[in-house]
Amino acid sequence: MSELKENLKAQIIEQLSLEDLTPADIKDDAPLFGDEGLGLDSIDALEFIVLLESNYGIKIADPSQGREIFHSVNSLAAFIESNQ
Amino acid sequence: MTAAITSIVSISHQDSFGKQNIWEILTPLGNQSEVIAPDYKTYIPPASLRRFSPVLRMALTAAQVCQNETSVPFDSISVGTSLGCLKDTERFLQTFITATGDTLSPTAFIQSTHNTIAGAISMALGNHSYNMTHTQNSLSFETALIDGLLCVQEGKKNVLVGAADEAIEFLDVLKPHVIQSTVPFTSGATFLSLQPDTAGNGKKVIDCAVHFNNTNTEEAITTFLKKNQIDANAIELVLFAGEIPTTIGIKQINYEQYTGLYYSSAAFACHLANDYALAEGKYVLIVNHQVNSKLGLTLIK
Repeated sequence: MSELKENLKAQIIEQLSLEDLTPADIKDDAPLFGDEGLGLDSIDALEFIVLLESNYGIKIADPSQGREIFHSVNSLAAFIESNQ
Repeated sequence: MTAAITSIVSISHQDSFGKQNIWEILTPLGNQSEVIAPDYKTYIPPASLRRFSPVLRMALTAAQVCQNETSVPFDSISVGTSLGCLKDTERFLQTFITATGDTLSPTAFIQSTHNTIAGAISMALGNHSYNMTHTQNSLSFETALIDGLLCVQEGKKNVLVGAADEAIEFLDVLKPHVIQSTVPFTSGATFLSLQPDTAGNGKKVIDCAVHFNNTNTEEAITTFLKKNQIDANAIELVLFAGEIPTTIGIKQINYEQYTGLYYSSAAFACHLANDYALAEGKYVLIVNHQVNSKLGLTLIK
């Protein structure tokens, strides 16, 4: 699980062009969206959908789940583990 | 169609950004030059900056500085770009080849269109006025400039005109098929604000004309000068790209030695004209003959 989270952080940085961040700057439980976390937005949410499909072969069947799945690295990793 | 240039900003392969007079920093470019970029973080919020390709960064920063220097919001925004956001276009097309799922990255798609530049400037400046993109091959800047001059003519008080293009490596592969030129492909953005011609001492754009099926450059120049009631002897400086008749102007300078090759580099020539110390009653004529069949003429006083 910890390896998955580290991979996810590196992929997030690359996919979202977060060039000023390193994986160590992204906390496992920190919110990814909104002012409290990384400050990601709706376009980034679309990038997450692409990332999950292209890197893990997972499609999100119900888009309304997105808010919960994309909350943090922890929630993303848990979703990937339970769907692979 | 006269309008006063109230500010002009260039980001290029020259150290032109923020300079009072760009003639002082000019050096002929070698084959391996790069854009000399300012610190974009000073001008673009980090959340936006991370998504923007080099051409967007150049254009937004130049437009932002023009706005800062003008203080009054722009009544219109006209941008010329020949090839648009090439890096994002290339990235988007690359995903067609490499994508393993059904979905494609949205960012490169959103930002791969030509009108991304003018639209992004509008959003960055919070400007909801007239917004237009001109894509006319090597005459993209001139058509944007004519648009801006017409906006001033119809009563707009503060008009933003600019041009931006970026090079990618693949252009070198295409080059033998698209243009006969020994000048290397480069990138650049120049933006200027235009206002109604008042009694100020700054430079003025007197007129601009485009010919998409040019067959006789000398005749086109003669007609252009005649239309503006200007004697050929009043042309002190000719800034040109491509081949032109050799008899016009006291001094002639090929501006591509400073800009490199990008299809809207006539905008940088406009900056050169703006900073040139002209004698009283004299003019600068920009002759853009980069592409054989196309001719752009811009007159600056």
